[in-house]
Amino acid sequence: MWIERKALAQEIPASAGLDARQLSELLASLGFPVDGAATREGLDTLDVDITANRGDAMSHRGMAREIAAKLEKPLAPLGTPAVTEQSPVVEVRLESAACPIYSTAVLEVGQGTTPQDVQAFLLALEASPKKLPAVDASNELLHRYGHPTHAFDADRIQGAVSIRWAKAGETLVTLDGITRTLTTRDLVIADEAGPIALAGVMGGEGTKVTEATRRVLLESAWFDAKTVRATARRHSLHTDASHRFGRGADPAMATVARDLLVGRLQAWSGAKLVGAWTVGSVPAASDTLVLSASLLARVAGEPLSLAEAAEVLRRLGCVVDLLGDQLSVVSPSWRHDLAIAEDLAEEVLRLRGYEHIPSVLPPLEGPPEPLSAPYLQRQRLSRRLAHLGFHQTVTYGFISPEADAAFVSPENHAEGRILSNPLGQEFSVMRGSLLPSLRSSAEHNFRQGTREVRLFELGPTYASSAKGPLERHTLGVVWGGVLGGEDFLSPARPVREADLCGIAKALGWEGLPEVRVLGEGLFGFEVPVSGLPQAPERIIPAFRPFSRFPSVERDLSLLVNLGQSYEILAMAMKSALPSECLQDLRCVDVFRHKSLPEGRQAWLMRLRFQADRNLLGEEVDGWVSAALAAAEVLGAKLRA
Amino acid sequence: MDQLLPAEILEAGQAFPRALAACGDLDSLLRLKGIYVGREASHAARLMELLKVAPKEQKRDLGAAINALKQQWEEGLKHRQAELETAKKSLNALASSWDPALPPPTPAQGALNPLNRLMDRLVEVFRPLGFHVEEGPEVETEAHNFDGLNIPEDHPAKASSDTFYLAVHPELLLRTHTSPVQVRTLLRVAPDLAARGGVRFLAPGRVYRKDEIDPTHSPMFHQVEGMLVGHGIGMQHLKGTLEYALRALFGPHTEIRLRPSYFPFVEPGCEVDVSCPLCGAKGCRVCKGSGWVEILGAGLIHPNVLRYAGIDPDEWSGWAFGMGVERMAMMLSQTPDLRLFFENDQRFLQAMGGLD
Repeated sequence: MWIERKALAQEIPASAGLDARQLSELLASLGFPVDGAATREGLDTLDVDITANRGDAMSHRGMAREIAAKLEKPLAPLGTPAVTEQSPVVEVRLESAACPIYSTAVLEVGQGTTPQDVQAFLLALEASPKKLPAVDASNELLHRYGHPTHAFDADRIQGAVSIRWAKAGETLVTLDGITRTLTTRDLVIADEAGPIALAGVMGGEGTKVTEATRRVLLESAWFDAKTVRATARRHSLHTDASHRFGRGADPAMATVARDLLVGRLQAWSGAKLVGAWTVGSVPAASDTLVLSASLLARVAGEPLSLAEAAEVLRRLGCVVDLLGDQLSVVSPSWRHDLAIAEDLAEEVLRLRGYEHIPSVLPPLEGPPEPLSAPYLQRQRLSRRLAHLGFHQTVTYGFISPEADAAFVSPENHAEGRILSNPLGQEFSVMRGSLLPSLRSSAEHNFRQGTREVRLFELGPTYASSAKGPLERHTLGVVWGGVLGGEDFLSPARPVREADLCGIAKALGWEGLPEVRVLGEGLFGFEVPVSGLPQAPERIIPAFRPFSRFPSVERDLSLLVNLGQSYEILAMAMKSALPSECLQDLRCVDVFRHKSLPEGRQAWLMRLRFQADRNLLGEEVDGWVSAALAAAEVLGAKLRA
Repeated sequence: MDQLLPAEILEAGQAFPRALAACGDLDSLLRLKGIYVGREASHAARLMELLKVAPKEQKRDLGAAINALKQQWEEGLKHRQAELETAKKSLNALASSWDPALPPPTPAQGALNPLNRLMDRLVEVFRPLGFHVEEGPEVETEAHNFDGLNIPEDHPAKASSDTFYLAVHPELLLRTHTSPVQVRTLLRVAPDLAARGGVRFLAPGRVYRKDEIDPTHSPMFHQVEGMLVGHGIGMQHLKGTLEYALRALFGPHTEIRLRPSYFPFVEPGCEVDVSCPLCGAKGCRVCKGSGWVEILGAGLIHPNVLRYAGIDPDEWSGWAFGMGVERMAMMLSQTPDLRLFFENDQRFLQAMGGLD
């Protein structure tokens, strides 16, 4: 909100002596940071950030109240003109509790226009003066005192005025020229022909004040904050008035603002008061709050004098009684945010200055909890993958349904994972797989000329269920491009599916992961993190004796059919060998060439034996023959 | 004697020494050998055929001339072969001696994401104070994300213009902050809070808000939430903890400043500034000359938040804070564009994330 320095000084003369920086720091220390400054129409203005709970501060008077309380300096008097109330000129009926008070007046407008200084004030606040005194005065009052008012063309109102809930389907053309279809939860000002204004939000086009207006009907009321917020939101109509009523205006200001408005119209244009009257009354003051010395001391971090606290609260407009070790407090009519004792403690601290709060480390009251195993597992996994040469990505949890469908199983229906209000189709489904996101990150890197892409992500994926998307932590890994060839020893070769299997194995995944081809020379897999081993329960496992005798290694070159399952062959060979002596069996080379018999390939199998004694050549020969015989049963042959 | 030999053979004989010298390797020497003394179609073979058909009286002289020539060629070839073999050996010797200036094979180097590293660092900083890590789902209930946090039913943040909702589960949304982890954790620990001696934890995680993607906005970002519940906890404990933590993060000379602010789930609420870690509070572009940088929002837990979880606010109290990870990462690294954090360029990840 823009605050003009001169107008502020008219409300709190003590602020005139502060320079812009001092004033900004003062406001920030009170909870109103200044976001910027500007000079318009020769007037200096500050852009003050006001939190949503402080509707009362959204005006020059509101800011002035805060500064006055902090500096312990007086506010300027309001200078309200004396307006004598009479019997109603027009019948006004309050038909809803959402409007407990409605102050009004009818005036015959005079000849003058809005004074230059008021026009400049409005321009400085980026508001546009209409040069119609009734409209500009209402606008000026809003910025200066924070109380929204409205002026109707009295001659265009038909019969009695009522403040009532709209009837379903009723329409109103608001001042912005848009026809609004109303609901029964919209509070309206209506005449006998129908709604003429959306209460606390915007006036109607049909009764607006123009140059032709001869008589005005002023409105200075108080509307329920929730009702105004709901209507503003329902019609996407956020105005200066709805902003202030929606955050809680001061009901006691209704009559005062009407008087100020009448006074301005009389002074600016010689308007003649026909009659002023008020329907309803200011709602009862809010409940009494109790602030105990112990709560105040607990929040503040040290015992504070209740007498001093009472003094601070009084400066803010509260009515305070000191009763033993507690304060009984009635907050002022403009402070709707003071609802509990903690709010009062905050006010005391705020005016005292947060810089006075002591700094203390909280005592430990119980044993700390360890970090959870799943959290530690993910920490370990990401470090392991980074050490294996992979880069950790962060991608959005929502992707396009097409990309998603290509990677999830058909039973994981996208329907249960779709957002109702996505940023766009490409961000509309909570992903069932990390691979589409990893693929686009990989493609980005390839487009940048990267030779080899190694990425991983640890993040949730979603599975549809009756209760909503189920989240499970998933690890996705992609690898593609050219591996090696960047030094004089390692030859360059394309990344292969088997490389990804090796990574899965290194991470402790049992069996083969489902490796997907994500593009030319780009592969990926994903596995649930819960399927990967957690840290063992024992820090150091139980000791298992190992042999100190030398191991014996034998290679068997086998001709096997193309398409032979390695798992099955290895299992058959292992079952023919003494498990206590077989240390390792693996394929160390694959040879495929036209020189081999058609449909065959050569696998070089390496067998390693070890026992708690020296192994004899003959017994190892026997084992190798047995392994060969087992392989031959599956169609393998010793390669000559 | 030469007149007995054909002119082209004589020419070949004259060219031989030059041809021999021109052979730079064993392969070309082998080809030259084939041309001169090979078994078929070589100069020597042609000479032998010539000898066969020569008149008897010439055979002796011709034979001697041919032998001399052949011997000369063979010796030349043999000599050159020895020369070339020696040269090759010394070349091999040279090649096998390793030049340490050659790029050695290095293991592939990956990187953690900078956002994760920053969150890990925060966890590390709070661990010695007894904080552990709590986590919650990103798809949350409206109750955990709003209601349990004292956020009024008609709060604008609940609007579909601000928060993503699930289409067929309208009560579910993408959490807009890590604060629902507060609600979940308080609900879980409430029954045995006294036995535990309160609770203190960090909740790092991903959150979603309906913002269009631009250099300073992203519909997904990270937050770290901190919470502590105990007996007699007040603003002094919040200040003490944050002073410790922010000094651990930014250096021992860091100052902190609390300013009043408002969040529905705390009372009192505050914004916390740190003395600018980039210029040492002298005033720079990052702190806009003020010497202070806003780093997080915090406050004492609102009694309604404790009540919602079944915790008596007359006995227990606590504080909570929440900070934006990307904001802090951008501030610390001077990264000009938020989108770089989600592009996942390996160069960016290597430079910004790296490894411990």
